[in-house]
Amino acid sequence: MMTDPPSLLHAEALSKRYGRDWVIQGLDFSLRGGEVVALLGPNGVGKTTLLRLLAGLVRPTLGRVSGRARIGLLANPPAFYRHLSGEENLAYALRLEDRTPDLAAIRRILERVGLPGKKPVLSYSSGMKKRLALAKLQLLWPQVWLLDEPEAALDAQGRELLGEIVRQARKGGGVVIATHDRAWITELADRQVVLGGGV
Amino acid sequence: MRGDRTWPRGRAIPDTLGGGGAVRRIFWLAWRDLTLELRGRAGLLAVVFFLTVMLLILGLAFGPYPQDLRKAAPGVLWVALAFAGSLLASRAFGLEVEDGTLDDLLLTPGGKEWIYYGKLLFQMILLLAVGLILIVFTAGLFYLPLAAWPGLLLTLLLGTLGYASVSTFYAGMLARLRGRDVLLPLLLFPIVVPVVLSSVQATIGLAQGLPVAEMRHWWQLLLVFDVIYVTVCSLLFPWVLEG
Amino acid sequence: MQTLERTPTTRLDGLTLALLGTGTLAFLVALYFVLTSPPEVSQGYVYRIVFVHISSAWVGYLAAFGCLAYSVAYLVTRRPAHDRMAAVMAELILLFMGLTLVQGMLYARPTWGVYWEWEPRLTTTAILFAVYVGYFVLRAAIEDPELRAKAAAAVGILGVINVPISYMSVIWWRSLHQVQSFNLTTGKSQFDPAMLPALLVTLAALTLLFLGFARFKGFLAAQSAHQEAIGG
Repeated sequence: MMTDPPSLLHAEALSKRYGRDWVIQGLDFSLRGGEVVALLGPNGVGKTTLLRLLAGLVRPTLGRVSGRARIGLLANPPAFYRHLSGEENLAYALRLEDRTPDLAAIRRILERVGLPGKKPVLSYSSGMKKRLALAKLQLLWPQVWLLDEPEAALDAQGRELLGEIVRQARKGGGVVIATHDRAWITELADRQVVLGGGV
Repeated sequence: MRGDRTWPRGRAIPDTLGGGGAVRRIFWLAWRDLTLELRGRAGLLAVVFFLTVMLLILGLAFGPYPQDLRKAAPGVLWVALAFAGSLLASRAFGLEVEDGTLDDLLLTPGGKEWIYYGKLLFQMILLLAVGLILIVFTAGLFYLPLAAWPGLLLTLLLGTLGYASVSTFYAGMLARLRGRDVLLPLLLFPIVVPVVLSSVQATIGLAQGLPVAEMRHWWQLLLVFDVIYVTVCSLLFPWVLEG
Repeated sequence: MQTLERTPTTRLDGLTLALLGTGTLAFLVALYFVLTSPPEVSQGYVYRIVFVHISSAWVGYLAAFGCLAYSVAYLVTRRPAHDRMAAVMAELILLFMGLTLVQGMLYARPTWGVYWEWEPRLTTTAILFAVYVGYFVLRAAIEDPELRAKAAAAVGILGVINVPISYMSVIWWRSLHQVQSFNLTTGKSQFDPAMLPALLVTLAALTLLFLGFARFKGFLAAQSAHQEAIGG
């Protein structure tokens, strides 16, 4: 049995039912350190549900998810407090993990993703919110990165930045990316998991 | 095996946030919510305006004789506060749902109870502020005597804590539901009857100038209620909040 | 891998039938006892309603603690069966508490001259009744079965914990109010030994019926849940 690299997240016989419909059924999934996994499949096949199950936001109907890694989720669309500025959103995200926000670091990261930190998120476009979400993950720096269609709404330059961040993230942990864009993901992912029509 | 022993996930993570860390997070959560509430402004102002109109109507209904108004004052104070509380309760998680940020809150490591305490603190601050305004209003419009103000403040503190402990919990539980604004008072009011009754009685005693020792009963009952409900709600909270 | 639930049997079990049968029989016996019990000294024949009143209140509170137990069991084990039983208990709470309240009013009118008296036990019962009306409105409002079960369990637990506190607050509220008090307790302490059999038989009959109802309703709920699960 393979022991290294260590498994960050492990799901066994994972199933989730909403009402009568099984969205995910009997899925085994494992994420090791230093790995980028692509989740592919058409709309409504349960990619988002799987990410939320892995994140621990949804309780599985059957099966289990185990792992002790710190998890970061980039939701689609990403959620922020509209009446707080980009800077404030990031600062509070750190504060609520009992970390003291370093304003200089926040500004540096915001500059890197090219965002006006002082403006309320209310005024951001959807691409800008994606960038802010990426900035937040960089600040929190989780071990497991779960990205739900991160490339959507991003321009070419934004995608480049995203690729760069993902390559950085895999050094310290594992990344799962749910996406439709096969062309974009093939060069980034080490492994592909196709949902729907045979797992 | 059905289910997952490491659930809720946060518990499995070695807790680096014990003691001071948890208190700081609770404080920052309440602080952030207050910032958001004050930036929105409309919500809080609407509640105060609603209460003013309500007090005027009640004043006209019970008046015009001062002795009638004075007799009604404690009841008016607490019923108004209970109504205000049910309006304010939906604000505890309203913005999280509107902005979709509840998940981020749930993803922070280390248990979920602190979220309840943070929201409870936020609700307490709002209710205490509204309560103080209401005491001043009822003193003005209903001749509620303010001589025993330390007792009044203690009653306000214990009463609002009991009220907020349940209202915050239910607000969190109903946060994702569509009909939450109708459901909340329906579920909340029967549960907080003892709090409102005890607070009204303590206020009546204080208004009549009875010795403070006679109010001990009510304060004890309020304290019992507060302790039990804060404990039970914080224990149940992580379970009802997961999706 | 264990499946979610066992397939329920399609036949009622013997115990349920036995409980319902003996309960009905006992109730007939109870009726005989109640209708032949001697009139109470001060209240006369009206007093007979008290046997059923006390018994249904007792069963109502029994159901409340059943609901509490099943709610806790659900949160711990997450088995849908426990959620169903909690809901069954809540239905029985509404039934028996509703009966208790109506009987209380019927009893209050000729004895106290009013339909409603802010008597601690009656008030507490009314509060609990309101809690469980909310319980069912909540259940109706949530579509997702797991979320519904969790939320309902929370309401069931908080509602029952509320009972002793409500009771204390109403007792103290009354005692300080200094209103003329009609207390059921005095009636109970003057209980004529000759009336005791009637009370005990009624109590036993309603308890048996309650257990039978609970099992029967639980059986029906399991059936319909199974139908739903297989998509029938």
